[in-house]
Amino acid sequence: MKHLSPLLAVLLLSGAALAQHEHHHTAAPETAVPKAARPAVREWTQQPLLLPGRNPRGERAQALLQPRGIAATSVTVYAPEGPPERLKVDYPFEADTAKIASATPKIGNYHWVVAREETPGMVKVASTAWYFGNPGDSPKELLKTPKHELEIVPDPLPREHGRYRESEKWRFLVRFNGAPLAGQTVKLETEFGSRSSFVSDSDGGVTVLFPRDFKPAKEEGEHASHGRRYGKFVLAVEKEMDGRRYLTAFNLNYGEDGDRNKSLGWGAAFGLIGMLAAAPLLRRRNGAQGETKNA
Amino acid sequence: MLKTLFPTLARFRLAVQLVMLFVTVYGSVFVGSYMADKISNNLPALSCAYDQMNGGYCVLIPTQHILHHRIGEGIVHAQQLTFGMVLPLLMSFVAFFAFFFVIGKAFCGWVCPLGTLQELISKVGRRFGIGLRRVEGRDLGDVRRVRPVKWLLLLGLVFVLPLITGLGVTPHSLGNPYCDICPSRVATTLLTGNTEQLALRLGDNVSFGLGAIANLLIGFMLVGGLALRQPFCRICPLLAFNAVFQRLSPLRLAKPTRDQCGSCRICTEACPMDITEISTEAGRKAYHEDCTLCGRCAEYCPQDGVIQLKWGPFGLFTSRREYYKAKVQRELPDGTVKPLKIVKNAAKPAAGAENA
Repeated sequence: MKHLSPLLAVLLLSGAALAQHEHHHTAAPETAVPKAARPAVREWTQQPLLLPGRNPRGERAQALLQPRGIAATSVTVYAPEGPPERLKVDYPFEADTAKIASATPKIGNYHWVVAREETPGMVKVASTAWYFGNPGDSPKELLKTPKHELEIVPDPLPREHGRYRESEKWRFLVRFNGAPLAGQTVKLETEFGSRSSFVSDSDGGVTVLFPRDFKPAKEEGEHASHGRRYGKFVLAVEKEMDGRRYLTAFNLNYGEDGDRNKSLGWGAAFGLIGMLAAAPLLRRRNGAQGETKNA
Repeated sequence: MLKTLFPTLARFRLAVQLVMLFVTVYGSVFVGSYMADKISNNLPALSCAYDQMNGGYCVLIPTQHILHHRIGEGIVHAQQLTFGMVLPLLMSFVAFFAFFFVIGKAFCGWVCPLGTLQELISKVGRRFGIGLRRVEGRDLGDVRRVRPVKWLLLLGLVFVLPLITGLGVTPHSLGNPYCDICPSRVATTLLTGNTEQLALRLGDNVSFGLGAIANLLIGFMLVGGLALRQPFCRICPLLAFNAVFQRLSPLRLAKPTRDQCGSCRICTEACPMDITEISTEAGRKAYHEDCTLCGRCAEYCPQDGVIQLKWGPFGLFTSRREYYKAKVQRELPDGTVKPLKIVKNAAKPAAGAENA
């Protein structure tokens, strides 16, 4: 009971949405890669990435992350709430994989994850967001707080039942040392081969259009979660300052356009059938049978 | 001032319904985008999670997900039925009940966006003189034959199917089957300009079939609602869910005795759910499982003090003969309203003529 009371409080305060789908990182098995420090994956990007590994036990409060294109020794996980010592925790890479955890086993929602490689001439950062399927504070404050020099952060992240999707526009913020960075070029790369770039406005905001580039089903690169396919993307931003080059990337998944494999025509047809089925109710009846007798 | 704005309980309820329709469908404008910011994820109203702009979630969503992802999967993993599995479900119910305690089943009659939409459609039907149909013996059949449907939907689609899907017995696409057939999912997303939920998923017969049922229901509701009041509410599993707890909320319908009741049945005629028990019974039986606490029976009861809306010991609204007489001048018990009069250059009343 002693341990149960805080748990009860957390659950109650958070509205107890305890069965949220874990859409974002239900990862397909990744190919084993021996060394984190080796050059970026060949397949689709040279940008630094943090990719989900397979969590064989399916534990909700833990996740595996693998670095690509960055020689980092650890990842740092920032939690949206929790005990002070758990708000920022480092997890080392072991055998090219970091096993991260939420702030506490019962605290969930989005956590921010960062891997960093630093040399005298360069700071390279790979960042991503990880959704743990338990209640937890929304990531608003988490995203507001500066965590490294050059940042690209979602504004906002997709809702827990939502995701980035093809053909949608989403806003991101570019910051340098916590201040908005105007006129900064942001590159978008997707695992299906799309490449585009966007420029931040005076508030450091940049609106990114996710390309409609999913290949037909069953082709290479396909991943699925709850029957919905998704692909990987990365946003990257670079800046030179005082003779030092900063490269920061944010990667996550995006899903198919909602209208793919769906038929609005069939939907409307069944709606129409429902209307027709109800039409006899509108016929006037003979006599006063069933009519309301009003006082 | 308040009396001018809301001369009747019905007008006040309509105002509340319209505000809550906005909150439940577009509420993220105020409460924020993320689930953690929502009013609650366990609302006793059909506030749909598929609506990306909503202000809160319906309790049936976590219920299905917990049974599917936690309890079903947990049993598969051969774990014991411990707090780790049952507690989330209990906590979901506790959070639901925290809301339910305050206004009980009035969530159905005052807050639910789908209930509000059906009432608005019904008002259109009454305004255009479409004859009212009743679920009763003389018209569409005995209302008691429809009542078990909501319990079957609650048991089968909210509890059993998600659980056995979590156990791996049924396909994953049956993980949240009630949401898949819920017309509120289609209606509220259409209100945000999103047609994605109206479209049917191809290549998966189960998803296609469930989506087709939802669309049949919304189509039936849109047209049938012109003649039949609250067609979906009669089979809504959330009404059944709320009915389980209805005695635990202080807000209730009270008809303590039949002594003053004239058995005129006007209250039943006014009831959008065609509940006959409100006129034939008293005490606990008068507050029926189908009641949505809309208060129309109390508004249209011509006897002083016979029917009340009460919160604990406090009477919120009590039937009054004078109120009834004024009310029927505007709207008849079945919802028929007086025709709109468009008067051009209204003639000046003759001297001495009595003002209306």
